[in-house]
Amino acid sequence: MIEDDRSKDMCPICKTDRYLSPNMVFLINPECYHKICESCVDRIFSLGPAPCPYPKCGKILRKNKFKRQVFDDLVIEREIDIRKRVNSIYNKTEEDFESLESFNSYLEDVENIVFNLTNNVDVEQTTKDLNKYEEEHKIEILEKNMRESQKNADFVKYQESIAQLKHEKMRIQQQMELEDLEYQRQQKQVLLDKLASNPGGSSEELIAQSNSNILKRSSLRKRQFQQLTNQLDQRIQTSNPFKRGRSSESDEVGSSTPFTPFKGDRDLNKRYTLLDTGKTDADVSTGTYHDPYVSGLAKNKEFLGAGWRLELVFERALDEAFMGMGCFIDKEKELKAEVKLEGGDGISV
Amino acid sequence: MTTGNSGSPISRYTKDRKVGEGTYAVVYLGKQVNNDRKIAIKEIKTGLFKDGLDMSAIREVKYLQELHHINVIELIDVFTAHNTNNLNLVLEFLPGDLEVLIKNTSVVFKPSDIKSWLLMTLRGIHHCHRNFILHRDLKPNNLLLSPTGELKIADFGLARAMGNPNEDLTSNVVTRWYRAPELLFGAKHYVEAVDMWSIGIIFAELMLRTPYLPGKDDLDQVDVTFRALGTPTEQNWPNVSNLPLYNALKVYPPPSRQELRNRFSAATDTALNLLCSLTELNPGKRCTSTQALLHEYFTESPAPTLPSELPKNDVAGGDSDDDEPENKRRKV
Repeated sequence: MIEDDRSKDMCPICKTDRYLSPNMVFLINPECYHKICESCVDRIFSLGPAPCPYPKCGKILRKNKFKRQVFDDLVIEREIDIRKRVNSIYNKTEEDFESLESFNSYLEDVENIVFNLTNNVDVEQTTKDLNKYEEEHKIEILEKNMRESQKNADFVKYQESIAQLKHEKMRIQQQMELEDLEYQRQQKQVLLDKLASNPGGSSEELIAQSNSNILKRSSLRKRQFQQLTNQLDQRIQTSNPFKRGRSSESDEVGSSTPFTPFKGDRDLNKRYTLLDTGKTDADVSTGTYHDPYVSGLAKNKEFLGAGWRLELVFERALDEAFMGMGCFIDKEKELKAEVKLEGGDGISV
Repeated sequence: MTTGNSGSPISRYTKDRKVGEGTYAVVYLGKQVNNDRKIAIKEIKTGLFKDGLDMSAIREVKYLQELHHINVIELIDVFTAHNTNNLNLVLEFLPGDLEVLIKNTSVVFKPSDIKSWLLMTLRGIHHCHRNFILHRDLKPNNLLLSPTGELKIADFGLARAMGNPNEDLTSNVVTRWYRAPELLFGAKHYVEAVDMWSIGIIFAELMLRTPYLPGKDDLDQVDVTFRALGTPTEQNWPNVSNLPLYNALKVYPPPSRQELRNRFSAATDTALNLLCSLTELNPGKRCTSTQALLHEYFTESPAPTLPSELPKNDVAGGDSDDDEPENKRRKV
């Protein structure tokens, strides 16, 4: 095993070892798939075609055909090469055929050729057939190639533009965030200056004012950003050749099964409207409901800090009071029994 | 055991195999005799407690009896066998849970799968909250998956109904990693928002495939939480400083949008919006189950996967009784 590993990392021609020169690269030539290190390839083949230096091989190799090995297993490497070559000649796609059946038999033919070539079955005959086919269909193959490359170019363009859009959005947002930070800092400074210049004035008012300024600005900015991104989105929509077909398709699918977030498990028909809750003890005017005890709790900052709200208490009391109104248990039981009889599996409904 | 539709409760079910044992209960796999439906029987050990039954068993029975929803585990029956005096809860059998699935790296989650699980969790919790029941222990481990792919909220051992407004609630609830900031501060009057926080953290975990805020202990949890989401102040969370354990905090800035985007690289902007409103520090501003379900995340493409098409861990053999032992129900 160790022997094997070592030979894997050593060029059989110049005996350079990967251990000593870790940068070495092995190349192979699809003529014979013998492994030769890069410097040997440079040395032997830079003056033109030469025979393979492996003993008993002697195939004439050219430098420009040498390439890096992708797959560890040379059998696979070879099959991929053959497949590439065959597919460049037999390059039809499904849309070129009238029926699926004819396309499938075409694919089977292609597979047969690949199999023959990789497993050395009737190689001569197969290559001859392959060359003949190429000769006969030269123009077709070229045309097909042109069409495919056009398609690919379109797709690449589309992907690029999407990436650009995303990048653009990100840039705008980042810039806005930076500007916002700067603005907040400035506001703070202004506020400090103001506070310093009139020591007698009410500081809380000033703070509140500056806070509301900041808030106003940030909501404005949000809207601005939304607008910008919408514009960008639209631009990409109009320029994109692929999206159109797809979006209409997904619309159709969406409309056939409407989405229901609650699946009916929601009480939209509340049988009450919540009145204003009186904020202070004195505020017991008409149109409000005031409960001195619960309102007392609403002044407890510990309650408020934990997310507790006065309205929640009232809502719950009212919900519970009205819960189950309009439900007729006998009727539901009958319904349930019917379903059970039909279904017979007894899983509750 | 004998068959028979009516008759004593024990003859209506079979106990086939023991699948798990915890401190308070033993779980058996069985069948409902009259329709061959698979069930899990949770036998509560009695005599361990000086006050009689274990609290969590009482809670489980109390709330599960009231709740009937496709996304909440079904309590089929409760009985005591006359010879042993043990309390038996008959629950529907659910072979998988979300935690196992999250940990199974060979399963790939599509964005639409995550959406579907989140949707089912929210529907289930919405039903609980609609009936004023707090779950208080939401985590992937307690979200079980039925053979048809439906997600069901289970383990109501820590659940309780919203009490009277003046009643104190214990803040020592919810598994640490999923504990909301108001609980970390020892709040005693929290509301449904604690469950929504847990769901937010589960949502993040579904996207990251690793726990979002894994604190090593209770103190570390505070640190980890605020390092990720910013330290709350009186400005963004009024009255926070009145909570019992709010003191001497290390101040972290809130994360910028870009930081979140880097963390959740696969999430869309809408998904991030929902995540942010679920993990809002201030419980008063955190979104409710109703708001979450109405969020545009769920109407945005891709549509949530149908439950039957969701990834499953192991295909539990339909009729055969030799399910993997790892598939046993949660710890009890």
